[in-house]
Amino acid sequence: MKNESTFIDVPAESSSAMKGKSPLIGVAKDHTTGGYNRGLSIFDFLLRLAAIVAASVAAGTMFTSDETLPFFTQFLQFEAGYDDLPTFQFFVIAMSMVAGYIVLSLPISVVTIVRPLAAAPRLLLLVLDTAIMGLTMAAASSAAAISYVAHNGNQNTNWLPICQQFGDFCQKTSGAVVSSFVAVVFFMILVVLSGVALKRH
Amino acid sequence: MKSGQAEIVETSKAIQKSGLMSRRNAILEFILRIVAFFNTITSAILMATTNETLPFFAQFIRFHAEYSDLPALTFFVIANAVVSGYLILSLPLAFVHIVKSKTQNSRVLLIILDVAMLGLLTAGASSAAAIVYLAHKGNNNTNWFSICQQFNSFCERISGSLIGSFVAVFLLILLILLSAIALSRRH
Repeated sequence: MKNESTFIDVPAESSSAMKGKSPLIGVAKDHTTGGYNRGLSIFDFLLRLAAIVAASVAAGTMFTSDETLPFFTQFLQFEAGYDDLPTFQFFVIAMSMVAGYIVLSLPISVVTIVRPLAAAPRLLLLVLDTAIMGLTMAAASSAAAISYVAHNGNQNTNWLPICQQFGDFCQKTSGAVVSSFVAVVFFMILVVLSGVALKRH
Repeated sequence: MKSGQAEIVETSKAIQKSGLMSRRNAILEFILRIVAFFNTITSAILMATTNETLPFFAQFIRFHAEYSDLPALTFFVIANAVVSGYLILSLPLAFVHIVKSKTQNSRVLLIILDVAMLGLLTAGASSAAAIVYLAHKGNNNTNWFSICQQFNSFCERISGSLIGSFVAVFLLILLILLSAIALSRRH
Protein backbone atom coordinates (compact mmCIF):
# COMPACT_ATOMS: atom_id res chain seq x y z
CA MET A 1 0.00 0.00 0.00
CA LYS A 2 1.17 3.49 -0.71
CA ASN A 3 1.40 4.81 2.79
CA GLU A 4 3.55 1.92 3.94
CA SER A 5 6.55 2.67 1.74
CA THR A 6 8.34 5.89 1.19
CA PHE A 7 10.17 6.89 -1.93
CA ILE A 8 12.47 9.72 -2.57
CA ASP A 9 11.75 10.63 -6.17
CA VAL A 10 14.83 12.00 -7.81
CA PRO A 11 14.69 13.25 -11.40
CA ALA A 12 16.59 11.11 -13.88
CA GLU A 13 19.07 13.77 -14.99
CA SER A 14 20.53 14.12 -11.53
CA SER A 15 21.10 10.43 -11.08
CA SER A 16 24.72 10.89 -11.99
CA ALA A 17 25.07 13.23 -9.04
CA MET A 18 23.65 10.77 -6.52
CA LYS A 19 24.72 7.17 -6.73
CA GLY A 20 21.37 5.66 -7.68
CA LYS A 21 18.51 5.35 -5.24
CA SER A 22 19.54 6.14 -1.74
CA PRO A 23 19.49 3.26 0.75
CA LEU A 24 17.33 5.43 3.00
CA ILE A 25 14.14 4.44 1.24
CA GLY A 26 11.83 2.65 3.59
CA VAL A 27 10.50 -0.71 2.57
CA ALA A 28 6.90 -1.77 2.70
CA LYS A 29 6.01 -3.33 6.01
CA ASP A 30 5.81 -7.08 6.00
CA HIS A 31 2.13 -8.02 6.16
CA THR A 32 2.69 -11.39 7.81
CA THR A 33 3.86 -9.90 11.13
CA GLY A 34 0.50 -8.16 11.46
CA GLY A 35 -1.27 -11.51 11.86
CA TYR A 36 1.20 -12.77 14.46
CA ASN A 37 0.91 -9.56 16.45
CA ARG A 38 -2.86 -9.73 16.28
CA GLY A 39 -2.76 -13.23 17.72
CA LEU A 40 -0.56 -11.98 20.55
CA SER A 41 -3.00 -9.13 21.18
CA ILE A 42 -5.97 -11.46 21.41
CA PHE A 43 -4.10 -13.65 23.88
CA ASP A 44 -3.22 -10.46 25.78
CA PHE A 45 -6.92 -9.53 25.96
CA LEU A 46 -7.94 -12.96 27.24
CA LEU A 47 -5.21 -12.88 29.87
CA ARG A 48 -6.48 -9.51 31.02
CA LEU A 49 -9.96 -10.94 31.49
CA ALA A 50 -8.48 -13.76 33.55
CA ALA A 51 -6.43 -11.26 35.58
CA ILE A 52 -9.60 -9.26 36.37
CA VAL A 53 -11.12 -12.41 37.81
CA ALA A 54 -8.01 -13.22 39.83
CA ALA A 55 -7.62 -9.72 41.25
CA SER A 56 -11.28 -9.26 42.15
CA VAL A 57 -11.48 -12.73 43.72
CA ALA A 58 -8.46 -11.85 45.85
CA ALA A 59 -9.92 -8.52 46.95
CA GLY A 60 -13.38 -9.96 47.57
CA THR A 61 -12.22 -12.99 49.53
CA MET A 62 -10.04 -10.88 51.79
CA PHE A 63 -12.80 -8.33 52.25
CA THR A 64 -15.35 -10.92 53.35
CA SER A 65 -13.02 -12.94 55.55
CA ASP A 66 -14.59 -11.82 58.85
CA GLU A 67 -14.95 -14.46 61.50
CA THR A 68 -16.56 -14.35 64.93
CA LEU A 69 -15.92 -17.15 67.34
CA PRO A 70 -19.00 -18.51 69.07
CA PHE A 71 -17.83 -18.43 72.72
CA PHE A 72 -17.08 -15.72 75.18
CA THR A 73 -14.32 -14.88 77.72
CA GLN A 74 -13.27 -11.69 79.37
CA PHE A 75 -9.84 -10.84 77.97
CA LEU A 76 -9.46 -12.42 74.56
CA GLN A 77 -10.47 -11.15 71.16
CA PHE A 78 -13.12 -13.22 69.39
CA GLU A 79 -13.60 -11.39 66.17
CA ALA A 80 -11.16 -11.31 63.28
CA GLY A 81 -11.48 -9.33 60.10
CA TYR A 82 -9.23 -7.95 57.42
CA ASP A 83 -9.26 -4.52 59.04
CA ASP A 84 -7.52 -5.83 62.15
CA LEU A 85 -4.26 -5.94 60.23
CA PRO A 86 -3.10 -2.86 58.30
CA THR A 87 -1.27 -5.06 55.80
CA PHE A 88 -4.53 -6.77 54.88
CA GLN A 89 -6.18 -3.38 54.51
CA PHE A 90 -3.44 -2.41 52.08
CA PHE A 91 -4.00 -5.72 50.29
CA VAL A 92 -7.72 -5.10 49.76
CA ILE A 93 -7.17 -1.53 48.57
CA ALA A 94 -4.31 -2.48 46.24
CA MET A 95 -6.16 -5.43 44.71
CA SER A 96 -9.25 -3.34 44.06
CA MET A 97 -7.10 -0.71 42.36
CA VAL A 98 -5.44 -3.39 40.26
CA ALA A 99 -8.78 -4.83 39.18
CA GLY A 100 -9.96 -1.34 38.27
CA TYR A 101 -6.79 -0.71 36.29
CA ILE A 102 -7.18 -3.89 34.24
CA VAL A 103 -10.75 -2.97 33.39
CA LEU A 104 -9.55 0.44 32.23
CA SER A 105 -6.74 -1.08 30.17
CA LEU A 106 -9.12 -3.32 28.21
CA PRO A 107 -9.84 -0.59 25.59
CA ILE A 108 -6.12 -0.09 24.97
CA SER A 109 -5.77 -3.83 24.51
CA VAL A 110 -8.61 -3.73 21.98
CA VAL A 111 -6.73 -0.97 20.14
CA THR A 112 -3.70 -3.25 19.86
CA ILE A 113 -5.93 -5.96 18.36
CA VAL A 114 -7.36 -3.57 15.82
CA ARG A 115 -4.00 -2.03 14.94
CA PRO A 116 -1.48 -4.81 15.43
CA LEU A 117 1.53 -2.96 14.08
CA ALA A 118 1.25 0.22 16.16
CA ALA A 119 3.98 0.52 18.77
CA ALA A 120 2.64 3.30 21.01
CA PRO A 121 -0.32 1.50 22.66
CA ARG A 122 1.81 -1.57 23.29
CA LEU A 123 4.57 0.48 24.84
CA LEU A 124 2.05 2.25 27.07
CA LEU A 125 0.54 -1.07 28.13
CA LEU A 126 3.97 -2.52 28.87
CA VAL A 127 4.96 0.36 31.12
CA LEU A 128 1.65 0.45 33.00
CA ASP A 129 1.59 -3.32 33.36
CA THR A 130 5.08 -3.35 34.83
CA ALA A 131 4.21 -0.73 37.40
CA ILE A 132 0.94 -2.43 38.34
CA MET A 133 2.73 -5.78 38.53
CA GLY A 134 5.06 -4.23 41.10
CA LEU A 135 2.08 -3.03 43.13
CA THR A 136 0.32 -6.39 42.95
CA MET A 137 3.45 -8.26 43.96
CA ALA A 138 3.97 -5.86 46.87
CA ALA A 139 0.42 -6.42 48.15
CA ALA A 140 0.58 -10.18 47.60
CA SER A 141 3.93 -10.75 49.30
CA SER A 142 3.28 -8.47 52.29
CA ALA A 143 -0.03 -10.25 52.92
CA ALA A 144 1.78 -13.57 52.49
CA ALA A 145 4.36 -12.58 55.11
CA ILE A 146 1.62 -11.65 57.59
CA SER A 147 -0.29 -14.86 56.80
CA TYR A 148 2.87 -16.82 57.47
CA VAL A 149 3.26 -15.22 60.88
CA ALA A 150 -0.44 -15.80 61.59
CA HIS A 151 -0.08 -19.48 60.71
CA ASN A 152 3.23 -20.24 62.36
CA GLY A 153 3.82 -17.50 64.88
CA ASN A 154 7.36 -16.54 65.77
CA GLN A 155 9.24 -17.92 68.75
CA ASN A 156 11.86 -15.22 68.83
CA THR A 157 9.47 -12.29 69.01
CA ASN A 158 6.74 -14.00 71.03
CA TRP A 159 4.13 -13.64 68.35
CA LEU A 160 1.48 -16.30 68.78
CA PRO A 161 -0.11 -17.92 65.73
CA ILE A 162 -3.70 -16.72 65.68
CA CYS A 163 -4.74 -19.34 63.15
CA GLN A 164 -5.15 -21.85 65.90
CA GLN A 165 -8.19 -19.89 67.03
CA PHE A 166 -9.43 -18.41 63.78
CA GLY A 167 -9.32 -21.25 61.28
CA ASP A 168 -11.81 -19.88 58.75
CA PHE A 169 -10.28 -16.42 58.72
CA CYS A 170 -6.86 -17.86 58.06
CA GLN A 171 -8.13 -20.10 55.28
CA LYS A 172 -9.85 -17.26 53.50
CA THR A 173 -6.91 -14.92 53.75
CA SER A 174 -4.54 -17.60 52.49
CA GLY A 175 -6.85 -18.23 49.54
CA ALA A 176 -6.90 -14.51 48.76
CA VAL A 177 -3.10 -14.39 48.84
CA VAL A 178 -2.84 -17.36 46.46
CA SER A 179 -5.28 -15.71 44.05
CA SER A 180 -3.24 -12.52 44.05
CA PHE A 181 -0.07 -14.44 43.25
CA VAL A 182 -1.91 -15.94 40.26
CA ALA A 183 -2.70 -12.37 39.17
CA VAL A 184 1.00 -11.50 39.46
CA VAL A 185 1.93 -14.40 37.17
CA PHE A 186 -0.66 -13.19 34.65
CA PHE A 187 0.90 -9.73 34.72
CA MET A 188 4.36 -11.12 34.14
CA ILE A 189 3.12 -12.99 31.08
CA LEU A 190 1.37 -9.83 29.86
CA VAL A 191 4.55 -7.79 30.09
CA VAL A 192 6.57 -10.41 28.23
CA LEU A 193 3.86 -10.61 25.55
CA SER A 194 3.97 -6.88 25.01
CA GLY A 195 7.74 -7.03 24.77
CA VAL A 196 7.68 -9.81 22.15
CA ALA A 197 4.99 -8.00 20.16
CA LEU A 198 7.02 -4.79 20.23
CA LYS A 199 9.98 -6.61 18.79
CA ARG A 200 8.01 -7.46 15.69
CA HIS A 201 6.32 -4.16 15.08
CA MET B 1 17.75 17.84 -7.65
CA LYS B 2 19.04 20.04 -4.91
CA SER B 3 15.94 19.44 -2.83
CA GLY B 4 16.34 15.70 -3.37
CA GLN B 5 19.90 15.89 -2.10
CA ALA B 6 18.84 17.98 0.86
CA GLU B 7 16.14 15.44 1.72
CA ILE B 8 18.62 12.60 1.66
CA VAL B 9 21.06 14.50 3.85
CA GLU B 10 18.30 15.28 6.32
CA THR B 11 17.09 11.70 6.45
CA SER B 12 20.59 10.40 7.01
CA LYS B 13 20.98 12.92 9.82
CA ALA B 14 17.77 11.62 11.34
CA ILE B 15 19.09 8.09 11.22
CA GLN B 16 22.37 9.19 12.78
CA LYS B 17 20.41 10.92 15.52
CA SER B 18 18.34 7.83 16.20
CA GLY B 19 21.54 5.83 16.36
CA LEU B 20 22.86 8.30 18.93
CA MET B 21 19.62 8.10 20.89
CA SER B 22 19.74 4.35 21.08
CA ARG B 23 23.36 4.47 22.15
CA ARG B 24 22.49 6.98 24.85
CA ASN B 25 19.64 4.71 25.86
CA ALA B 26 22.00 1.73 26.16
CA ILE B 27 24.57 3.69 28.18
CA LEU B 28 21.85 4.91 30.55
CA GLU B 29 20.69 1.32 30.97
CA PHE B 30 24.22 0.21 31.79
CA ILE B 31 24.60 2.93 34.41
CA LEU B 32 21.22 2.17 35.97
CA ARG B 33 22.16 -1.48 36.27
CA ILE B 34 25.31 -0.62 38.15
CA VAL B 35 23.41 1.70 40.51
CA ALA B 36 20.73 -0.95 41.12
CA PHE B 37 23.43 -3.52 41.81
CA PHE B 38 24.95 -1.32 44.49
CA ASN B 39 21.56 -0.72 46.04
CA THR B 40 20.67 -4.38 46.31
CA ILE B 41 24.05 -5.53 47.56
CA THR B 42 24.03 -2.78 50.20
CA SER B 43 20.57 -3.79 51.36
CA ALA B 44 21.55 -7.43 51.57
CA ILE B 45 24.68 -6.68 53.57
CA LEU B 46 22.96 -4.22 55.90
CA MET B 47 20.25 -6.72 56.69
CA ALA B 48 22.57 -9.68 57.03
CA THR B 49 24.86 -7.97 59.50
CA THR B 50 22.13 -7.11 62.00
CA ASN B 51 23.00 -8.34 65.41
CA GLU B 52 21.91 -6.78 68.64
CA THR B 53 22.28 -8.05 72.17
CA LEU B 54 20.73 -6.11 75.00
CA PRO B 55 23.01 -5.52 77.97
CA PHE B 56 20.69 -6.58 80.78
CA PHE B 57 19.33 -9.84 81.94
CA ALA B 58 15.96 -11.28 82.99
CA GLN B 59 14.53 -14.72 83.12
CA PHE B 60 11.90 -15.12 80.44
CA ILE B 61 12.50 -12.43 77.84
CA ARG B 62 14.73 -12.76 74.83
CA PHE B 63 17.70 -10.39 74.54
CA HIS B 64 19.25 -11.14 71.19
CA ALA B 65 17.96 -10.09 67.80
CA GLU B 66 19.25 -10.80 64.34
CA TYR B 67 17.82 -11.07 60.88
CA SER B 68 17.52 -14.85 60.91
CA ASP B 69 15.00 -14.65 63.74
CA LEU B 70 12.37 -13.57 61.24
CA PRO B 71 11.90 -15.70 58.10
CA ALA B 72 10.72 -12.74 56.03
CA LEU B 73 14.00 -10.95 56.67
CA THR B 74 15.95 -14.06 55.68
CA PHE B 75 13.97 -14.18 52.44
CA PHE B 76 14.78 -10.48 51.96
CA VAL B 77 18.52 -11.12 52.24
CA ILE B 78 18.35 -14.05 49.83
CA ALA B 79 16.23 -12.15 47.29
CA ASN B 80 18.53 -9.14 47.34
CA ALA B 81 21.60 -11.33 46.98
CA VAL B 82 20.10 -13.18 43.99
CA VAL B 83 19.03 -9.97 42.26
CA SER B 84 22.40 -8.32 42.80
CA GLY B 85 24.10 -11.41 41.34
CA TYR B 86 21.77 -11.25 38.34
CA LEU B 87 22.50 -7.54 37.82
CA ILE B 88 26.23 -8.14 37.80
CA LEU B 89 25.85 -11.01 35.35
CA SER B 90 23.66 -8.93 33.04
CA LEU B 91 26.22 -6.12 32.84
CA PRO B 92 28.16 -7.74 29.93
CA LEU B 93 24.90 -8.12 28.00
CA ALA B 94 24.06 -4.47 28.60
CA PHE B 95 27.54 -3.53 27.43
CA VAL B 96 27.02 -5.48 24.23
CA HIS B 97 23.84 -3.47 23.65
CA ILE B 98 25.88 -0.27 23.72
CA VAL B 99 28.27 -1.51 21.10
CA LYS B 100 26.12 -3.61 18.79
CA SER B 101 23.21 -2.23 16.79
CA LYS B 102 20.91 -5.17 16.06
CA THR B 103 20.02 -6.29 19.57
CA GLN B 104 16.35 -7.19 19.46
CA ASN B 105 16.35 -10.80 20.58
CA SER B 106 18.73 -10.21 23.44
CA ARG B 107 16.63 -7.24 24.55
CA VAL B 108 13.55 -9.45 24.73
CA LEU B 109 15.54 -11.95 26.81
CA LEU B 110 16.65 -9.10 29.06
CA ILE B 111 13.05 -7.93 29.51
CA ILE B 112 11.95 -11.44 30.50
CA LEU B 113 14.74 -11.79 33.06
CA ASP B 114 14.22 -8.26 34.37
CA VAL B 115 10.51 -8.92 34.91
CA ALA B 116 11.27 -12.10 36.84
CA MET B 117 13.87 -10.34 38.98
CA LEU B 118 11.50 -7.43 39.56
CA GLY B 119 8.94 -9.89 40.90
CA LEU B 120 11.46 -11.54 43.20
CA LEU B 121 12.87 -8.28 44.52
CA THR B 122 9.44 -6.75 45.10
CA ALA B 123 8.35 -9.88 46.94
CA GLY B 124 11.37 -9.75 49.22
CA ALA B 125 11.13 -6.03 49.86
CA SER B 126 7.38 -6.02 50.55
CA SER B 127 7.34 -9.02 52.86
CA ALA B 128 10.23 -7.53 54.82
CA ALA B 129 8.40 -4.19 54.90
CA ALA B 130 5.28 -5.85 56.30
CA ILE B 131 7.29 -7.56 59.03
CA VAL B 132 9.25 -4.38 59.84
CA TYR B 133 5.97 -2.49 60.14
CA LEU B 134 4.72 -5.15 62.50
CA ALA B 135 7.94 -4.95 64.51
CA HIS B 136 7.56 -1.19 64.81
CA LYS B 137 3.88 -0.93 65.61
CA GLY B 138 2.85 -4.34 66.88
CA ASN B 139 -0.78 -5.28 66.61
CA ASN B 140 -3.32 -4.93 69.39
CA ASN B 141 -5.91 -7.19 67.87
CA THR B 142 -3.65 -10.21 67.58
CA ASN B 143 -1.56 -9.51 70.69
CA TRP B 144 1.64 -9.21 68.72
CA PHE B 145 4.03 -7.11 70.69
CA SER B 146 6.21 -4.55 68.92
CA ILE B 147 9.82 -5.59 69.44
CA CYS B 148 11.26 -2.22 68.45
CA GLN B 149 10.62 -0.85 71.88
CA GLN B 150 13.36 -3.13 73.14
CA PHE B 151 15.68 -3.41 70.17
CA ASN B 152 16.29 0.10 68.89
CA SER B 153 19.37 -0.24 66.70
CA PHE B 154 18.16 -3.55 65.25
CA CYS B 155 14.94 -1.88 64.18
CA GLU B 156 16.72 1.11 62.69
CA ARG B 157 19.01 -1.19 60.73
CA ILE B 158 16.24 -3.30 59.26
CA SER B 159 14.18 -0.23 58.36
CA GLY B 160 17.13 1.44 56.65
CA SER B 161 18.03 -1.57 54.58
CA LEU B 162 14.56 -1.56 53.05
CA ILE B 163 15.20 1.77 51.37
CA GLY B 164 17.97 0.51 49.09
CA SER B 165 15.80 -2.38 48.02
CA PHE B 166 12.83 -0.21 47.10
CA VAL B 167 15.08 2.15 45.14
CA ALA B 168 16.36 -0.88 43.23
CA VAL B 169 12.74 -1.91 42.49
CA PHE B 170 12.12 1.51 40.97
CA LEU B 171 15.34 1.28 38.96
CA LEU B 172 14.37 -2.15 37.62
CA ILE B 173 11.04 -0.74 36.43
CA LEU B 174 13.00 2.04 34.65
CA LEU B 175 15.28 -0.58 33.09
CA ILE B 176 12.31 -2.51 31.71
CA LEU B 177 10.91 0.74 30.34
CA LEU B 178 14.23 1.56 28.64
CA SER B 179 14.44 -1.89 27.07
CA ALA B 180 10.87 -1.54 25.78
CA ILE B 181 11.59 1.89 24.29
CA ALA B 182 14.70 0.54 22.60
CA LEU B 183 12.67 -2.38 21.21
CA SER B 184 9.92 -0.14 19.90
CA ARG B 185 12.34 2.19 18.23
CA ARG B 186 13.71 -0.24 15.64
CA HIS B 187 12.51 0.66 12.18
